[in-house]
Amino acid sequence: MRAIWKRELQAYFFTPVGYVFMGVFLLLSSAMFYTTIMQNRSSDLPTFIGMMSYLWMLLCPVLTMRLLAEERQKRTDQLLLTSPVSLPAVVLGKYLAALSVMLITVLLTGLFVLIVAIYGAVYPAELLASYLGFVLQGCAFIALDLFLSGCAANQVTAAVLAFGANLLLWMLDLLETAITIEPVKDVLAFLSLYARSEPFLMGQLSFASVGYFLSFTAAFIVLTIHTLDSRRYRGA
Amino acid sequence: MIELRQVTKRYGEVAAVADLSFTAPAGQIIGLLGQNGAGKTTTLNILTGYLPPTSGQVLVDGLDMLTHARECKRRIGYLPEKPPLYDEMTVRSYLGFVCDLKEVAPRARKAHVAQIIATCGLTEVAGRLIGHLSKGYRQRVGIAQALCGNPPILVLDEPTVGLDPRQVVEIRGLIRELGKTHTILFSSHLLPEVQQLCQRVIILHHGRMMREADMAALTEGEGTLRLLAAISLGQKALIPALQSLPCVQRVKVLRAHAAETEVLLECTPDAAPDPQTQLFSLLCGLNAPLRALSQERSTLEDVFLRITAQDDE
Repeated sequence: MRAIWKRELQAYFFTPVGYVFMGVFLLLSSAMFYTTIMQNRSSDLPTFIGMMSYLWMLLCPVLTMRLLAEERQKRTDQLLLTSPVSLPAVVLGKYLAALSVMLITVLLTGLFVLIVAIYGAVYPAELLASYLGFVLQGCAFIALDLFLSGCAANQVTAAVLAFGANLLLWMLDLLETAITIEPVKDVLAFLSLYARSEPFLMGQLSFASVGYFLSFTAAFIVLTIHTLDSRRYRGA
Repeated sequence: MIELRQVTKRYGEVAAVADLSFTAPAGQIIGLLGQNGAGKTTTLNILTGYLPPTSGQVLVDGLDMLTHARECKRRIGYLPEKPPLYDEMTVRSYLGFVCDLKEVAPRARKAHVAQIIATCGLTEVAGRLIGHLSKGYRQRVGIAQALCGNPPILVLDEPTVGLDPRQVVEIRGLIRELGKTHTILFSSHLLPEVQQLCQRVIILHHGRMMREADMAALTEGEGTLRLLAAISLGQKALIPALQSLPCVQRVKVLRAHAAETEVLLECTPDAAPDPQTQLFSLLCGLNAPLRALSQERSTLEDVFLRITAQDDE
């Protein structure tokens, strides 16, 4: 697993993918920082972090699209699957590599916090809860998008599928407000990744939400492993 | 040692490989021979553990691939049809990665990679990106990758396809060299290549095994001794005389002149005295000088075409 993680992490920075992800993320979040914090002379970091979390939807597919689809397309999976490494280790190694790039990016957003800390006031508990929700949301999106990379035959399909799925999750909130049938509304509200992160942004540590994000992530990692394994049997 | 027991792989209704059983004994170079689509690649994918068989068993040194995947895979180095290379890595870092995958101890890794680079003739390109290499070098990196972790068994899928003639000769040399220390199973549809390299041949056709034999036994002729003779005698007098020999099964005239005839004789090899002696005595009696006599060995090509044609009929 470590070998896979290491290679994937290097691959992010041997190719432009890692830089593109971090660069675009930081560019867009700087713009958000300017409009929400600087222009309003506000130190409301949770609102800013809440806005940044929409970037996951847009950028996680960039991190994950290559991971499994490219192995399949270039048939390098033959090396991984005929080596003494288990399939779960391959998938986990790749997941952790994407997660590492995400976490490095999150660390870099600490600069924004630093600016607010110098010129305004930072409430550590509130900030930590917001960041926790922000990171957990990223974990969930990467797991979902990794799964879709495992389903796709090439990178472009993987990216399109991932964008579609991410937007659909976001639209659940809109659908929920539009739909009047109570049970359906409840299910949609339960599934929504964004509604789940609201308590964190209000500085609450919601165990239900932490549990939800972690099980969402685990479920998609398991599904990914299962999909790849069953493809070997079907031989497609 | 690799053993396949009644391995079948189905894709829906189609059986890519059906009821295949064979053993690849340690220390030999074994050729897997067949036309395109005969099931060679599927067979290799199954015995390296990339694809699970629909039914049947793969044993590596007596261990079942299904239940002891890790131990089995550690013993096999595999070069698939398309070398599994990452274009954005350098040759050296790629081989380092493969060593990690194959569980080479971190301390031994550097020396191991250096040795493989030297063995495969990659010294000049060790620091270059794989994406920038020519096809011949990519193929070598593919072979180098299979050597990582010192597996005793190498499985190579059409290792010389698409290379220029010089590279083909080089890669064959490398395989022959590696065959001294490894068990090698490789597939090919190039018959001369298999004839040159292998001690043992397995012929596949439509997913089934048609023949498994030592190379020598296969090309020695199957139960008949074939003699080519040029004899100074007209064919009218010669043919009946030849047919009168008890050891001669069939006479075929290859070329006939007024005073000289070239014939191909198919004889029973275990006649006493041997067919050559009988022929000599006969011709002495006829006072017909023997201009040339040679034993014809069938090429692998003849054998292969005969075996696959029999099946198609």
